[in-house]
Amino acid sequence: MKAIMGLEIHVHLLTDSKFFCRCPTDYENKEPNENTCPICCGFPGSKPKANKKVIDCTIMVAKALNCKINPQMFFSRKSYFYPDMPKNFQITQYEIPLATKGYLEITNKKIGITRVHMEEDPAKLFHIGGDILSAKYILADYNRAGIPLIEIVTDPDFRTTKEVREFLTKISSILEHLEVYDSSKEAALRVDANVSLEGGERVEIKNITGFKNVEKGLNYEMVRQESVRRMGMEVQRETRHFNAETRTTASLRKKEFEEDYGYIFEPDLTRIEISDKWLKEIDKKMPELPDQRIERLVKDYGVTRYQARVVVYTDKALADFFEECCKIYKKPVDIIKWIVTDLLKSLNWNKVTIRKSKVKPKTFIELLKLIDTGKITARLGKEVIKDYVVTGKSPKEIVEKKGLTLIDEDKLIKSVKEVIKKNSQAVEDYKKGKKKAMEYLIGQVLRKIKARADPNKIRRLIEKLV
Amino acid sequence: MKQDILKKAKEINEKFNVFITIADKVETSGKGKLSGIAISVKDNICTKGMQSTAGSRILEGYIPPFDATVVEKCRKEGAFIIGKTTEDEFGFGTFSINTGFDVPKNPLDPERSCGGSSGGAAGLTVAVDFPHIAIGESTGGSISCPAAFCGVVGLTPTYGRVSRWGLIDYGNSLDKIGSISKTVKDTALLLSVISGPDEYDSTVLQLKQEDFTKHLKDSVKGIKIGIPKEYFGEGVDEKITKLVWQAIKKLESLGANYKEVSLPHTKYALSSYYIIAMAEASTNLAKLCGMRYGLHKPIKGNYDEYFSEVRSQGFTEEAKRRIILGTFTRMAGFREAYYLKALKVRTKVIQDFKKAFKNYDVLIAPTMPVVAPRFDEIAKLEPIQHYTMDILTVGPNLAGIPMISVPCGLVDELPVGLHIMGDHLQEGKIIQVAHTFEVNK
Amino acid sequence: MSEKSDYWKIDEKLVKHVAKIARVNLTEQEIEKFTKQLENILQAFKELDEVDTSGVEPSFHPQELKNVWREDKVKPWKWDPLENTKHKEKKYFKGPKIV
Repeated sequence: MKAIMGLEIHVHLLTDSKFFCRCPTDYENKEPNENTCPICCGFPGSKPKANKKVIDCTIMVAKALNCKINPQMFFSRKSYFYPDMPKNFQITQYEIPLATKGYLEITNKKIGITRVHMEEDPAKLFHIGGDILSAKYILADYNRAGIPLIEIVTDPDFRTTKEVREFLTKISSILEHLEVYDSSKEAALRVDANVSLEGGERVEIKNITGFKNVEKGLNYEMVRQESVRRMGMEVQRETRHFNAETRTTASLRKKEFEEDYGYIFEPDLTRIEISDKWLKEIDKKMPELPDQRIERLVKDYGVTRYQARVVVYTDKALADFFEECCKIYKKPVDIIKWIVTDLLKSLNWNKVTIRKSKVKPKTFIELLKLIDTGKITARLGKEVIKDYVVTGKSPKEIVEKKGLTLIDEDKLIKSVKEVIKKNSQAVEDYKKGKKKAMEYLIGQVLRKIKARADPNKIRRLIEKLV
Repeated sequence: MKQDILKKAKEINEKFNVFITIADKVETSGKGKLSGIAISVKDNICTKGMQSTAGSRILEGYIPPFDATVVEKCRKEGAFIIGKTTEDEFGFGTFSINTGFDVPKNPLDPERSCGGSSGGAAGLTVAVDFPHIAIGESTGGSISCPAAFCGVVGLTPTYGRVSRWGLIDYGNSLDKIGSISKTVKDTALLLSVISGPDEYDSTVLQLKQEDFTKHLKDSVKGIKIGIPKEYFGEGVDEKITKLVWQAIKKLESLGANYKEVSLPHTKYALSSYYIIAMAEASTNLAKLCGMRYGLHKPIKGNYDEYFSEVRSQGFTEEAKRRIILGTFTRMAGFREAYYLKALKVRTKVIQDFKKAFKNYDVLIAPTMPVVAPRFDEIAKLEPIQHYTMDILTVGPNLAGIPMISVPCGLVDELPVGLHIMGDHLQEGKIIQVAHTFEVNK
Repeated sequence: MSEKSDYWKIDEKLVKHVAKIARVNLTEQEIEKFTKQLENILQAFKELDEVDTSGVEPSFHPQELKNVWREDKVKPWKWDPLENTKHKEKKYFKGPKIV
């Protein structure tokens, strides 16, 4: 059965102050309700005042997503009651959002962007004595309330979760390149996902945090809908909640009582007119976007398109890291090879991003130079990198401390001779032209000397000595 | 002496219920334009550390953590705040009977209403014998109406002339903070203090602070007065019409000239006003749900049940009616016909006024179609009849133009208000005409 | 809502529905009373249909206001947000459960 999926993506915009008040936006490691004021807590008599940077950032995102930007727009009140809502209405955009009708290309496909608009985030709730469905009461922390969000709504153009993943990866990278989004904050990206099987009712999975959970939630939901149908029942139109721990969805509310948002124009804010002049100023500020960057990396550094995509889409900071390294060591092809394989593997193993890791261009290049100048072997380099990612220590020091430098010529020759002596059968096979036998012999030498020599050098020695 | 004033305020309150809260001590920063003047504040305007309920039990006990900008400005000019005046809950009324607290009585006749919704402010103003100016607020006529019923002066400035920061909203696109006092001079003085830009209000106009007392000139020579014929029609007490005409003739004798003018959309202003005001109000009141401030109940049930319980107990019947009506007018399927249509009709109403002000300096009409009614008369009225009482004040309020009501005589021993309206930002002209009338009547 | 005139009608069922959206509990008597009163009020509002507003822009404010904003500057507010509530636990606001 064909699935039809659409996304509503909410992203925290990176601003210093909240959308409508001057409270700071850094809610991590704060006391509950520390970053609040009468405005973001919705106290009587308080009034919002819009943060211009939010509009600037949203225009940039709209441009990056090939949208049509409305020359004038309004803020609206979306009314619904919920304990995380300070005013029981949310300031958002309705009739005339900032932008509409865009698209983003993924492999062999264009995903339509219905609209891009700005809104404020509600508070963070803690469900006490159970989960959202079974709690006894809630606790609310309004530090997050009023943080600016950008909402990106897609057309229902997705058919597979693979497409969803590619799209989200790309969007995330675009937002990072625009410097409007911090991917390291878990709650900074939340998704409402709509999914239906062809001919069936639509189910909305609300408030999924993080990319991977979107995929999991959608996969679970598709399987669930299929099995509902297989049992001869109809899928019901409803809103479901995704539980990240059990990786399942559960019904939140059936659609028998639907909230009527009763939108009105936000009378405490003014109309926003976006002039051509303003748009031109934004154009000047537009940074290079991921796709452009990938092409440039291929062209300027001679790396493969695959490698360029890995560094750009993994994390903007990783692509930045690559380019920084290239500045101090002009061997881009070698650098990227090490980044996309061993460095990335090691970072993932340690569950750390490049930005939060201790890996720095200067020390990383030091490691590469140790290999290139033959101080250590590539194989040893792979070992050193693991240590290096964890400790951030100078690779030179690591190598010295662990005694990983190459052994001297005499010792090496001695070891080769010993191996030849012990493995006469392999030597015979080699002489008969069996290539594998040579590899075996090299392996034996490396093992004996704990890889502290260049395999090519060993090969030459064996050739000479047999 | 100031403690004396508090004692007097308490005595007045005992008789007429004009206060919801009276200050327990007098605090003043000392010198300034308002030094020595007692300032009363309508209860929907936040006063730091002093209970502000907007006349509603759902906000009983609410102590604002900040001063409204107007209050802060008054304090800086040496005023002392004597208390918070009674009003219809959130401004929802024309007679101040829709208050969650004791209904204010008109000091001129305690059987009668002070008018609304700034009823306590006007009632207090007429009752005091010490220097006092009231800060009032009008959404659809809530300054002019009680000023007229109590025989005092009420000035409603241009929308955006005065910051609304700290005003507990009724209809945000209509709400205006203004002044009520015994003389035009005092209303002008208070406006000079409370007006001007404010970084906390996005809709306040970016105009320099102005001294409006400089417009207190005794002259109307060459002033062109427009008489909107629709404001003298059916439903307006003929004795009131007569007094207003006498006033117009008086101004003519002082050098002004007048001509009849038509504001053809007057009839539609009432519906447009009520729809916009209630739509906005119903969203403003949503935040009152017993979680963060105001009325609290033991937390029971889910949020739907708990919020509904608190709201049902905290709001008066009129507030519930307006919440329901306001929610209805913005619901999917109805929004187009009500809310959006009302916003478009508002444009037509504004255009009527703008057109008239091309040819006239001020427009003059009766403030209210009747004199202050008795409470037993009010009790017989249906809600729609309450709303119709505002027919003469909603137009200018919807258009956000400045207006001033000055007493122009008595009908059956009760005061009548003369309503002088000006173009946007022409407070100076209406102050001049009102002052000239006041000193020459 | 096919017929235009339907907009101006209200019945008890609709009043109940609106009250639910507005989170106001009404008694049966209140519903009956409100329905009658609202019918009268809506009949009065109906006159708006007479106004030709084709091509007329809505007025969100009495005078046109545009592009009012502030720069992205932080200024923390010093206060105790929990001062006005009885429903608190540690430094959190306490509230009713969702389901």
